[in-house]
Amino acid sequence: MDYRDSTKVTEFRKELRAWIANYRHTHDIDFSPSDFDSVRRWNRDLAAAGYVATSFPVQYGGRGLEPIFDAIVNLELASASAPPPPPIAHYAHSIADFGSEELKQRLLPGMLNCTEPWCQGFSEPSAGSDLASLKTSGVIEGDTILVNGQKIWTSGAMWATWCLLLARTEPGEPRHRGLSMMVVDLSSPGIDRRPITLSTGSAEFAEVFFDGVEVPVSNLVGARGQGWAVAMHMLSFERGPADMGWTGRYRRALEGARARLAERVQAGEAEATQLERLVRAGINLQVLEWQVQRTLATRSLNPGVQGSIDKLLATRVEQELYRVLADLRGADLVIKPSEDFNAYLYSRAQSIYGGSQQIQRNLVAQRVLGLPRL
Amino acid sequence: MDANLSEEQVAFTEVAADLAADLAARWRRGRSPDTVDRCVPSPDDWRKLVDAGWLALRSDDDGTGIGTCVDVCLLVEQLGYHAVPAPVLGTLLLVEQLRLRGAPPEMVAPLVSGQVRMAPVLTPDLRSFALDTDAIAFDTAGATACVLAAATELRTYSMTGSATGADLTRQLASLDVAQVPTGTPLAVASEECEAAMAAFALTVVSADLLGVMRGAFDHALAHAKVREQFGVPIGSFQAIQHIAAECHVSIEATRSAVWYSAWTVDELSAHEALSAARTAKAFASSAAIEVVEACVQILGGIGITWESPAHVWQRRAHLDRMLFGDEYHQGRMLAAA
Repeated sequence: MDYRDSTKVTEFRKELRAWIANYRHTHDIDFSPSDFDSVRRWNRDLAAAGYVATSFPVQYGGRGLEPIFDAIVNLELASASAPPPPPIAHYAHSIADFGSEELKQRLLPGMLNCTEPWCQGFSEPSAGSDLASLKTSGVIEGDTILVNGQKIWTSGAMWATWCLLLARTEPGEPRHRGLSMMVVDLSSPGIDRRPITLSTGSAEFAEVFFDGVEVPVSNLVGARGQGWAVAMHMLSFERGPADMGWTGRYRRALEGARARLAERVQAGEAEATQLERLVRAGINLQVLEWQVQRTLATRSLNPGVQGSIDKLLATRVEQELYRVLADLRGADLVIKPSEDFNAYLYSRAQSIYGGSQQIQRNLVAQRVLGLPRL
Repeated sequence: MDANLSEEQVAFTEVAADLAADLAARWRRGRSPDTVDRCVPSPDDWRKLVDAGWLALRSDDDGTGIGTCVDVCLLVEQLGYHAVPAPVLGTLLLVEQLRLRGAPPEMVAPLVSGQVRMAPVLTPDLRSFALDTDAIAFDTAGATACVLAAATELRTYSMTGSATGADLTRQLASLDVAQVPTGTPLAVASEECEAAMAAFALTVVSADLLGVMRGAFDHALAHAKVREQFGVPIGSFQAIQHIAAECHVSIEATRSAVWYSAWTVDELSAHEALSAARTAKAFASSAAIEVVEACVQILGGIGITWESPAHVWQRRAHLDRMLFGDEYHQGRMLAAA
């Protein structure tokens, strides 16, 4: 056991810190997370500097480093009060681990350099937690898959170039075995996207309608009928707090609030008990960071159900943290509109997206603890 | 970064687990407070754990160098898991305190060889090692004396009224202040030393909490797999599964905290180690109470009786939680830092 930085990590941190310091001289990095143009520019610049997908093979645009470097990027960005890295590890791992060589070469560079945004077409109006009951169909004829159906809660669909779509291609097969994963070009004819505004006011969700959309069979990710396995693989990464840049986002929010509050306590404008409450939220965040470090340091290829454990912990941390941050504003929280209130509203999504908290608990109980399914 | 145990550490843990289970197996909970065994190990059991090297883990008497705090935590986790009724934790705390304060080897040697049993002395609120006689001796089973590490000297007191409090597996006692204590001058006293002692103590108590949580949880989980209601094991109900899943999350998170904190004790400055240890202790303290309470809930009726071992872990968790300060105390200390 040795948590100390290796020479390689020390060098990496130094280089990243220098890059951030230099970057903030010439760019505004204090933009709101719902300022999508700024977010996209930041993602592209961060990728161009080599700090996105650090753990991906060099030939696809990564740096071929160990998974722990993803956590280091999160922590360094946060401690410099910079925005978090883009949440794309789950897309990248799906393509890298299941896609054909041709798909990897064609799609990974644009994904990893953040010039081509992605979205995931999983949930449907009648298939949420019961994802395997989804109905969007993909009829395979020759070299083409004809897609018809509807997806919902699709984050980023309004500006995405590509969609990883889970559709039913084998209607004769039982639920899970009838699905395939495919990459859909969102500029294809027959696609209609309609934004859905979140309770925060941000229009990051969308409904996506597929009406006779033609997708090349060569866009299948994994084999026909293997879609469920690909989807579960993808979700296990979507649940990784460092893979998704969550820990960095929490740390940044916490440290900013702590510095402001400490000043107010000093000036007698706030009570010490408020600081103690924030510190308690910080204790849980620190433990999440240690948990993620241990996960990444011991992770081989697939986070599997470990992703569910870490996501359940991240859910506790995020929802407590943003509630405390909201409370710190006192009555101001409800008197004027604020980012803190929106951040609080957004924190409620953590227990819903990527598989609800209840689904994660089922997975941990049944897959890890060996409790029987009813 | 390497967050794994070495092969030696895994092997050490297995051997420690076997002996801890063996020691715990001879202790009888009885049917009520009147029939519960005292938590004083027999001379034979004491010899076994001395021979296993448990008390000597942090002593450098034999010149081979001391074991790591991670090693100590691996052992202490097993003590908590099996709720071992023997004064091992107290002895380890005292030996570490004496080592850091520069106590003479002739005072430490008989402790680690098990010939003399002595207990450490804490403040009445259990939050720190005591500096004066307004104090309480911890883990006093079978001890002939307790050691108060005052500012410039060690004072050895005899004790009165050694008895268990809420926890059935570790005893507490008062100092017999009527007697004149034996004094030994001390070389080391500094803020650095205080921080190092506190970091070690907070971390190993967190390891005990980790073991307690795991012990109670494994017991409750086994029950959920066999206890049937409505014709099926209760563990097949999501109502139970969701409680269990959150317990598992708390246990894994606590393990991450304990391991990191234990590593810092030997590898980073006392100040950094103390901050990590306070964080770990705060998390472990609240998580352990929640997990043990959840276990009682999973066990149902039997879980609130003396018949079930659940209350043994529950009681031990509450004493551990207060030792060196609960989560609220740690939060205040971290906020003030």
